[in-house]
Amino acid sequence: MDDYAIGVLTNIALFSFVALSAYLLLIAGEMSFGQQAFFGVGAYAGGILTALYGWPLPLAAFAAMALGAIAQLLVALPTLRLRGLYFAMATLAAAEMARILFELLHWRREIDGELAGPDGTQGFRGIRWIFEHGIEPLHYLGIVGALLALVLALFLMVERSKLGATLRGIGQDPELAAAVGIDVQRVKLGVAGAAGALAALGGVLYAHHNTYIEPRNFDIMLGVHSLAYALIGGLGTAFGPLLGVLLDIGVLESTRFFQGYRMIVFGGLVAVVLIYRPRGFLDERTVQWLRQRFT
Amino acid sequence: MLVDFIQNTLDGLSAGAAYALLALGFTLIFGVLRRANLSYGPAIMFGCYAATWTHVNFGAGLLLLALITVSGAVLAGAYVERLCFAPHRGGSAIAAMVASFALWMQFEELATLVMPRHLYAFPMLVEGDSLALGPFTLRVDALVMLGAALAACALMGWTLYRTRFGLAVRALIEQPAAAALAGINVPWVFVRVFALASAIGGVAGYLVVATHGQITPMLGMWATMKGLLAMMLGGLGSLPGAVIGGLALGLLEAHSQWYLGPQLRDLIAYLLLFVLLAARVPWMTTRSAS
Amino acid sequence: MAKTALYLILLALPLLAHAQTPEAELRCKASGEDFVFDCTITLRRGGQPLAGAEVSMSADMPSMPMAHSVRPAKAQPGTKPGEYKARLDLEMLGEWAVKLRLDGPVRDLLVLHYEFDSKGAKPSMGGHKMEHKKH
Repeated sequence: MDDYAIGVLTNIALFSFVALSAYLLLIAGEMSFGQQAFFGVGAYAGGILTALYGWPLPLAAFAAMALGAIAQLLVALPTLRLRGLYFAMATLAAAEMARILFELLHWRREIDGELAGPDGTQGFRGIRWIFEHGIEPLHYLGIVGALLALVLALFLMVERSKLGATLRGIGQDPELAAAVGIDVQRVKLGVAGAAGALAALGGVLYAHHNTYIEPRNFDIMLGVHSLAYALIGGLGTAFGPLLGVLLDIGVLESTRFFQGYRMIVFGGLVAVVLIYRPRGFLDERTVQWLRQRFT
Repeated sequence: MLVDFIQNTLDGLSAGAAYALLALGFTLIFGVLRRANLSYGPAIMFGCYAATWTHVNFGAGLLLLALITVSGAVLAGAYVERLCFAPHRGGSAIAAMVASFALWMQFEELATLVMPRHLYAFPMLVEGDSLALGPFTLRVDALVMLGAALAACALMGWTLYRTRFGLAVRALIEQPAAAALAGINVPWVFVRVFALASAIGGVAGYLVVATHGQITPMLGMWATMKGLLAMMLGGLGSLPGAVIGGLALGLLEAHSQWYLGPQLRDLIAYLLLFVLLAARVPWMTTRSAS
Repeated sequence: MAKTALYLILLALPLLAHAQTPEAELRCKASGEDFVFDCTITLRRGGQPLAGAEVSMSADMPSMPMAHSVRPAKAQPGTKPGEYKARLDLEMLGEWAVKLRLDGPVRDLLVLHYEFDSKGAKPSMGGHKMEHKKH
């Protein structure tokens, strides 16, 4: 497999994490424009831990996920009772605040006579853990892919369980859910923590894949894209967001024909598909139909 | 110190005038359709780029450029309305908003394809020096901006309170169900509201670009963010609130920037919005947002 | 004993890696075709030109990485040691984060920010924003 293909596949996997993060919140009924902030938290935290303090990547990844969960909870707690556009705007405000904080973040340490670490708008170079430990691009793709597969497996388990039904119930009709005794606020907080951890995991993996991150990587474009991936791919299954990412990056990237027109084509595709399938290709009805056909 | 404060206030009001116009457009669409149009800024940018293209290739007078900007914005707005909002009326708000974001991506790519340089000069509205009024500097273009904003608000007020169309719009904002039952042709009102909102946005965009003297592809995102921020600060869905929100945002930014610098300026604006939303301040959260 | 030695060596590797981080410089000229640039890469390591590396060059835009497809181009060794030449086929002008993937004696990934205009490329810093005019 050539380097380009490995790079594209790795990026597909990395963006799937943040798309799944947006998807999780969507099925619980909340539209977040801000998941890119937690992707960023994971990236910066993971990068700082491995590049400046010599932590091994797996440990740094766990820490990054924990920080991502905490960060998302910090946003979710004050905004629990907000709905619809109000919640979306609050997440947008929080995400932009995070991005500005990244711009103000200077955390420099001297490593072997050179200053390393995040330097505000100049970014954070030298996240070299992968290279220092001789991990080939193909191996890294394997690691990222395996983690994504694990996450998908978890999602599929949850979807079939009572928790999954609860989540979708809250998403469709929170008043009804509360009426039957579900603690809506607590479930939403749990979802928020999970979504934050998920986005952060994608972030730490992204930072090490790229060796360089900067605040502009985590702007609103990323956030709204992940929302779009989740919605066009379909809200019926965790494979939906994956499909959305594949559609955008995979198909349109690899077809030279679309070079330069990719966003025009993808944007048009999203708008048109949503007219006929407002909940995406793999929406709940389609998934139901597929399950019935194949079981 | 006092001089600085007043100078900043004046500057803030003039920036706020543009924000007020942007917020008015957003609020019109939100108030009537109950959805946020994420392509609002990009549609305005389309109009501004159309004018820039005309200017670069043919050279054109200020008035013609203004007309092209507004018509371009209205045209782009109509495209957005047909593709993103008309099909989802009564359906999923999320689908409409995500579709509007998808079109935003289209507008941005189109702008960079047709006009690939990052920065283009735009003819300035008013060449020449500022007026000096005692210790204060009044930029003439800032005054023009304020004047235009006032004129636009007056026009809006007249439209809303003295025409049948305006009556229908206000009815839809206040009592959507009753308005539909009373026989108002709702889809047709939506189309015209979109056109009006896009036109106001076009005016705002033209004023901003003509006073800055330059245009970049960031204009779309910038206009959307400022418009959304101002609309939310002033109270979602309230037209007078939009104007107040816009002016307040301008003032807040001017003062924050002076004392704290540009990054903290933006941070404070977003922090304020977040805190107001979290506190569920009544004027901000009265209107249902599907 | 062997395990300790191995452990020590593994610990020392990161130190070695940091001490010999390669540096790169880019000089690009517009080639005449739309948004295609002919670039010369100069690689140094520890102050000395770095020859014999396999260099592949691609680029991303800082905002929304992976939003544009720039196929990695393998660089050919240039006239002087430490110099490599490659073509960069971008989708548009503006600020790009150029990525140099190094293989061979040194494995690394370097990211450099350059502003591409109709003539060539200049190193760039920081982000672009719509700013207020100060009085």
